[in-house]
Amino acid sequence: MFAPPEAYLVLSAAVFCIGVFGLLTRKNALLFLMSVELMLNAANINLVAFSFYWGNVTGQTFSLFTMALAAAEVAIGIGIILVLYRNFKDIDVTEATTMRW
Amino acid sequence: MSDDPNDGSRPRLKRDFNPVPGLAAVALFAVLALVFLQASFGEAQGFEQGASITASIGYAMFNIDAGAISGAVVSGEGFVVAFVLIAVALDVAIDGAVFLAKSEDEEGGIGAVLTDGGREIREKLRGGDD
Repeated sequence: MFAPPEAYLVLSAAVFCIGVFGLLTRKNALLFLMSVELMLNAANINLVAFSFYWGNVTGQTFSLFTMALAAAEVAIGIGIILVLYRNFKDIDVTEATTMRW
Repeated sequence: MSDDPNDGSRPRLKRDFNPVPGLAAVALFAVLALVFLQASFGEAQGFEQGASITASIGYAMFNIDAGAISGAVVSGEGFVVAFVLIAVALDVAIDGAVFLAKSEDEEGGIGAVLTDGGREIREKLRGGDD
């Protein structure tokens, strides 16, 4: 029923690296948000897997809090993207190279 | 992206990106997978037989003493302080999102949201009489 912990770690590393790949290759700010979300969810996979590994429910509970924090992060991120679009008429992150306009 | 206008507007995989920085991510995955597969973990302890995980998460989240509950409960730490902190963080986040989304020329601007059903614009255009 439970795969070996290595399998979960490799899955989580894959999800995390997909997130890093997205951050490094994309310019769209919305895709940046999605990539960061993938990286956060990779951490959640580890928390849940090791929660079962130690027979303790702390990891699962903590992963719920991580999800709530991810929601807060996305709320702020989308707000920032709105301001970015308003000021630069684009959401290309390479456009916004200065802090003032 | 395809330039063919007859190709419809279905979503496509983006192919015109620079793949060189992405190699760093692939290399990172290779290193991580190598390390994880060589590590030895042993047998997983697993949860107690017949214990309700959902109920156990609830007990852990609100610091409810598992000794007072009948039936099997998976042990965990108390999280009620973290719960309140996250609640405050979410509250601040939604306030921040609203603050950022508000445009500077909020009142009367062309881009302002029509919260009165367009009555104000109609009265402006027609001079008020219906």
